[in-house]
Amino acid sequence: MEKVKGKLLFISLLGIMLFLFAACSNDSGSESDGDQGSGNDNEGTDSGELAGEVEFMTISLLPAFEDYLNNLKDEFESMHPDVTVTINDVPYDQVEQIILTSASSGDLPDVMNLNTEFVKKIGAMGALVNMDEAAADVKDTFFEGLWNTGGVNGTVYALPWYTTTSGLIYNPDILAEAGFDAPPTTFEEAWEMSKVIYEETGAYGEVIQGEMHLLFPKNGIPILNEDNTAAAFNTPEAVELWTNLKEYYDQGLYELDVMLNQVSMAELYATEKVAWWATGPQLFRQVNDLSPEVYEKSLGGAALEGTAGKQHANPMNIAVSANSESLDAAVEFAKFVTNAENQLEFGKEAAVLPPVEEAANDEFFAQGEDSEDATERGRYYAAQSLATAENMSPQVENVSQVIEAIQEAFQQVILNDVDPADALSQAEQEVNSVLE
Amino acid sequence: MYKARHAWGFLAIPLLLLLLFTFIPSIAAFVLSFTNYNVFTPIEFLGLENYLKAFQDSDFKKAMFNTIYYWLLVTPALVVLPILVAILVNQKLRGIKVFRLIYYFPVLVSVVITAILWKWMFAKEGIVNYFLSWFGIEPTGWLMDTSTVMIALAFVTIWQGFGYYMLFYLAALQGVPKDLYEASELDGANFWKKHLYVTVPMIKPMIFFVAVISTMGAFKEFTLMLTMTDGGPLKASTTVVLLVFKEAFTNLDMGYASAISFILFVIILIITLINQKLLDNPNT
Repeated sequence: MEKVKGKLLFISLLGIMLFLFAACSNDSGSESDGDQGSGNDNEGTDSGELAGEVEFMTISLLPAFEDYLNNLKDEFESMHPDVTVTINDVPYDQVEQIILTSASSGDLPDVMNLNTEFVKKIGAMGALVNMDEAAADVKDTFFEGLWNTGGVNGTVYALPWYTTTSGLIYNPDILAEAGFDAPPTTFEEAWEMSKVIYEETGAYGEVIQGEMHLLFPKNGIPILNEDNTAAAFNTPEAVELWTNLKEYYDQGLYELDVMLNQVSMAELYATEKVAWWATGPQLFRQVNDLSPEVYEKSLGGAALEGTAGKQHANPMNIAVSANSESLDAAVEFAKFVTNAENQLEFGKEAAVLPPVEEAANDEFFAQGEDSEDATERGRYYAAQSLATAENMSPQVENVSQVIEAIQEAFQQVILNDVDPADALSQAEQEVNSVLE
Repeated sequence: MYKARHAWGFLAIPLLLLLLFTFIPSIAAFVLSFTNYNVFTPIEFLGLENYLKAFQDSDFKKAMFNTIYYWLLVTPALVVLPILVAILVNQKLRGIKVFRLIYYFPVLVSVVITAILWKWMFAKEGIVNYFLSWFGIEPTGWLMDTSTVMIALAFVTIWQGFGYYMLFYLAALQGVPKDLYEASELDGANFWKKHLYVTVPMIKPMIFFVAVISTMGAFKEFTLMLTMTDGGPLKASTTVVLLVFKEAFTNLDMGYASAISFILFVIILIITLINQKLLDNPNT
């Protein structure tokens, strides 16, 4: 009897093991079946109509924009009856790992919503469709400065989907206490006002944020040379800029806590520790969540300008996998999602701006100049700067390392009292070695 | 024979899981450490290039220094402090279980929540600086200063970990025969001598276990750094595993990240063997 029990136990365990193996192999089996299916899909129909399955990966858009996305899907499917679109929304902080896992199993989503840095990184590795070629017919519909957002080594790998440029939310009470009746319009003016505001109220004015490397192009200092092969920021203007910023720090005009991610600007602004916050107007509502009273009295304005008079725009992008088995349908869907009509609709729903000129010229974005609501007024000013805005991130695949080298050099100036000229030289060397 | 079959039966599933999720990926990572694997482009064999690169890479050297510094701050504290606390909560007092629970409580808090809480507390206007101001100490940005950031992170690790190791020691203490204490009392040993000459030798295997586990924990730590400082300022809190994470998932240099992982593996192995030798030595 004992022997029989033992045998039964052994057989059961063996069964579980086999089940585990089977479960693993079943998955890949069904996947390859599916792959074969979609492999046939990309052929298209005899009439030349698009066909296939298109997986559309979005970032943190569900459930807030479920209706909008489902409408996109339904409309595209009704235009192309042989195409099936599936929407797969993933959390923002897991996008890159999900993409890497999918790529390593050869199952990258056909159409992907990606941030700019990741587009450059995987675009340079040949994972994405060249949009200069695949979407050449729609290239002119986008603002020129924004079309190049997904560009790396001279090729654009993504279509800009939705974007923001900066607006300004400011606290009129703090400004009034310091004797000002309007917010600053330029960085130069902002630092002059910051001194007075700090002395009179103890609050900060201008604060160095995480994207401080953008201060170079905003002030007419290129980050890289024209062919993106070497650093170009080590100039007398850059030395002067950093020397001034170091002086402001020594005067106590700002802390490094925002740049070092120790505190968020939304928190600082909502607790009235800063007089203004330059950011995308869609983020102004964060102040409302943290402190409705502060938001209530806040006003929106135009973003600060440097000597170059240009604003940075940081679009979210739509890219297509180069290995998509429904390539034509996927490219068509990417173009459909980013066309003027759909961008305009999304802009209205999500308080973001469309990188397509026709949508941006809609009267919806011409409203809000006199609004009492900071977000609406901020969006108006942000929309006005779209035409001249550009994505100022370097167009190289190692963009993160380039930015990091600049940020760390600046931290050396602030934290370790390194001479700005030496820090810039050091950063120049590092960037050049990254670009080698 | 029958018992052996049973044993293999029970071992089969864990063994299979270990094989699938630990051994095979480890072997794969070892192989990848000799390549330029980045997920997207075809793999090329690089020989020892990644390993040689690591020894010339200033970021790796800095991360190794940070990791060893962090280990030296954390592990001695996590080996010694929990013994003291375990001895205290091993006393027969009313409500002692409540104290055990209180000391264990930080273990139950997730690392991310812990990181957020301590980030607030270590802020320039946070509660840590507020308490220190009572003693006339000027406020400092604990997580924004290259000289204090690791100390602050080590403090959080010790705060969160000592309750966990206390529990191990408590279990070991309860296995120490009472008559040994009675005999030492008869020999005139005071409270400290009793613990030094009875408790410590009796729980030596547990001390070794805690030393090994906390060493591995210290060398593997990266969640706290990722969530509290992202390795900054100026990479002063970038540990080796955080560097592995960034090389693999930010720079997509999986081959190099794998090579660094294996260098770390060898270092942990050496430290563990030294630990074992020291604690096996009857003179230590």
